[in-house]
Amino acid sequence: MNDFEWRRQLRELRQPHAPRRDLWAEIERSLDNTPIADATTTPASRTAWLFAAGLAAVTVLAIGLMRLSPAMAPPSADLATVPVWKPDDPRLAGAAVELTAAQYELRQAIQQSPNSTALQRLLDRTEQQESRLRQLGHDAS
Amino acid sequence: MPTACLATGYSMTPASTAAAPDTEDARAAAGGDRAAFQRLYRRHADRIHGAVLRLAGYDHARAEDLTQDAFVRAWQKLAEFRHESAFGTWLYRLAVNVALMDIRSRHADPVGFVDHESLPEHGDTPFCAAERDELERVIAKLPPRARAVLVLHDIEGWKHEDISRELDMAVGTSKAQLHRARALLRKLLGETA
Repeated sequence: MNDFEWRRQLRELRQPHAPRRDLWAEIERSLDNTPIADATTTPASRTAWLFAAGLAAVTVLAIGLMRLSPAMAPPSADLATVPVWKPDDPRLAGAAVELTAAQYELRQAIQQSPNSTALQRLLDRTEQQESRLRQLGHDAS
Repeated sequence: MPTACLATGYSMTPASTAAAPDTEDARAAAGGDRAAFQRLYRRHADRIHGAVLRLAGYDHARAEDLTQDAFVRAWQKLAEFRHESAFGTWLYRLAVNVALMDIRSRHADPVGFVDHESLPEHGDTPFCAAERDELERVIAKLPPRARAVLVLHDIEGWKHEDISRELDMAVGTSKAQLHRARALLRKLLGETA
């Protein structure tokens, strides 16, 4: 038998086979203990973690930039009054601390280098992330 | 080769069943509608069971368990189905994964082919005279992973790249497995390769 006939024989096996018994009753029983996974919460919580990871990266970058900048002056009074966001969700709390610290340090750095567009961009991005994270926290609750 | 041995037709495609009712039923089932899910089961059970049965080496009891498991998992994952492909295609892929996971969980030897010495000598019956049942019986004798490669490639029409990904093996290994599986199958059928 040549290869063509051989493969044709094999492809012929690709046919539906009815189970010997109706499996539906057992499947339905199993469904009682099997909730449908909620696709709406999983990506949201994943997004929250991605935000947190992104914030950590921004913080590290900001600290790195600040170390490259000239010696800093002591923080001014208005820096000490950066509003602190304290979400109830423990998953967001860590990110909130990072955000507040990042904003505080970025503003310090901007005071030292007011013409730095990179620092300003980082601050803008950090504020945007805080805003989106607040929205996520609001949606989750 | 006698005419009786020729194929009688090959028309089954992964998503050959009606797509529109599937889409509606899949959406309803994702919302918890069991009647809709039952309709999906009725439309797809035979095709899914067929694929699982071949991968399970025509072990009917195991294939039924795996088919059942596949539908339960489908129910569980329905909310993740994005309707980017036909429901039938998604379900087929999920069921094949369930069957392959079963093979992996049984620690099937990746290269554990049947000992050639233990195979029967070539019989007098030519391959073309073998009935479909005989071919299935012989495929069932192949080691699980070799059978999986043969079934996925030669019967289900998968590419080696997809097979290697699903079975966690190199593409070259998949090709080698297929070559050996075919040789073994021919030998089991009593035909010289």
